[in-house]
Amino acid sequence: MTSGRKPSHAAVTGIGMVTAAGIGAETAWQTICAGGATAAAPVPALAGTPADFGCAVTDFGRANTIERRKAWRLDRSSQFAIAAAKEALADSGLEPATWDGARVGVVLGSGIGGAATWEKQHRVLLDDGAQRVSSMLIPMLAINMAAGYIAMECGARGPNLVTATACASGATAVGVARDLLRSGACDVVITGGTEACLVPSIISGFSQMGALSTRRGELHAASRPFDSDRDGFVPAEGAAVLVLERAEDARARGARVHAMVSGYGASADAHNATAPDPEGVGAELAVRAALADAGIGPGDVDHVNAHGTSTPLNDIAEAKLISRTLGERPAVTSVKGVLGHALGAAGAIEAAVTSMTLEHGFIPPTANLDSQDSQIEIDVVAKIGRDTHPEVAISNSFGFGGQNAVLVLTRA
Amino acid sequence: MSDTYERLVALLAEGFGLEAGEIDPERTFSELEMDSLALVELGLTAQQEFGVTIADEDIQSDDTISQAAKTIEAKMASLA
Repeated sequence: MTSGRKPSHAAVTGIGMVTAAGIGAETAWQTICAGGATAAAPVPALAGTPADFGCAVTDFGRANTIERRKAWRLDRSSQFAIAAAKEALADSGLEPATWDGARVGVVLGSGIGGAATWEKQHRVLLDDGAQRVSSMLIPMLAINMAAGYIAMECGARGPNLVTATACASGATAVGVARDLLRSGACDVVITGGTEACLVPSIISGFSQMGALSTRRGELHAASRPFDSDRDGFVPAEGAAVLVLERAEDARARGARVHAMVSGYGASADAHNATAPDPEGVGAELAVRAALADAGIGPGDVDHVNAHGTSTPLNDIAEAKLISRTLGERPAVTSVKGVLGHALGAAGAIEAAVTSMTLEHGFIPPTANLDSQDSQIEIDVVAKIGRDTHPEVAISNSFGFGGQNAVLVLTRA
Repeated sequence: MSDTYERLVALLAEGFGLEAGEIDPERTFSELEMDSLALVELGLTAQQEFGVTIADEDIQSDDTISQAAKTIEAKMASLA
């Protein structure tokens, strides 16, 4: 199966991250590589609910990346996105003061939007009446706003949108961003994902579905992808932003290139609202489409940055899909053992981590993998990372609604 | 400056991310980057603080902070 088009490589020239494992891509990368206890801890906003822990970004206010004059009118999800975008743009070396803004696009992924603002203002509505509801509710709640605010921050006047494919949103965004470069619609695309919904209504909703880990006595061990004792995901918040440019443009300006986004595939399970297809048939379509798009074969894949949520159903279905499609060769890891599951931001965070994996030649380990599920017959990197210099990696993201997005990344 | 002015400055510093040092009686809201939506929000907050109804047209972006304080004072006086 081939796409019939010549391969198209988008250079990742800038990375920014805001995660529970640290603010700043380099800090987060170091924590992820150490692969130790997860960042899970009690979340004050969730106190009094059954699922009262998660991987929160705890020191964001102190990092002081957003001007106070702007911060009050931005939902936390937009604040994360802007902070990550600023870091990524600085890393890219591009100059927003002099670029042709009409050629710069923004494509972010997000699953939920400004949930904390909505919850707060709904409380105002019930307690104090409609006349007290904030005039900022809509621009703080609407899921498209984070991308709009990034444009305002840097004068990016090209196509601007948010992709919503639940937990695949961040990966979908990166794929769509690359397509905007390939089509010629943009010369630079600022892409990634953001999520900040560690609030009682949303997390209770996940909890009532039975999707979350209930390992309350041992929070650091709760997110344990591919382990036989896994019992659900640990919700997280965060953002990652990647600056993408056509490979030839990045080379021409002498930019440092972290990695290449070389393929993208998307599909739907057409199966169930929240349960994955047990055999991963829909997800396999996305993997095969991404490989075809990149013009590479299944045997070329050295590394898989898995969706690996630590839910019983996802991890088994994903493992079957990986072994059936790619064989036993790739070294598989899930960074959700460290970071938890940042929902609509996860795919972007993982695309950033996969880029850094290729750049540094080091595959981070899956935290908390003490005893691999015997039904999971793939090579999962546990405990200690591997210095194996992968050349070709895929990053899987699968969302509720059966929405799947897979990226192929290659070493620059 | 009046007590109302000082309370208005405190509101701006607390809820709108302005530094006390950058707020000056003669500066306008637009100079402080407060657009129309921000002024609606200020109206809501001021309503709670001062107990008077402040409509959208009462405070405009080219008003100065001291003008806004006087508008609020006039409304308070008419209540008294």
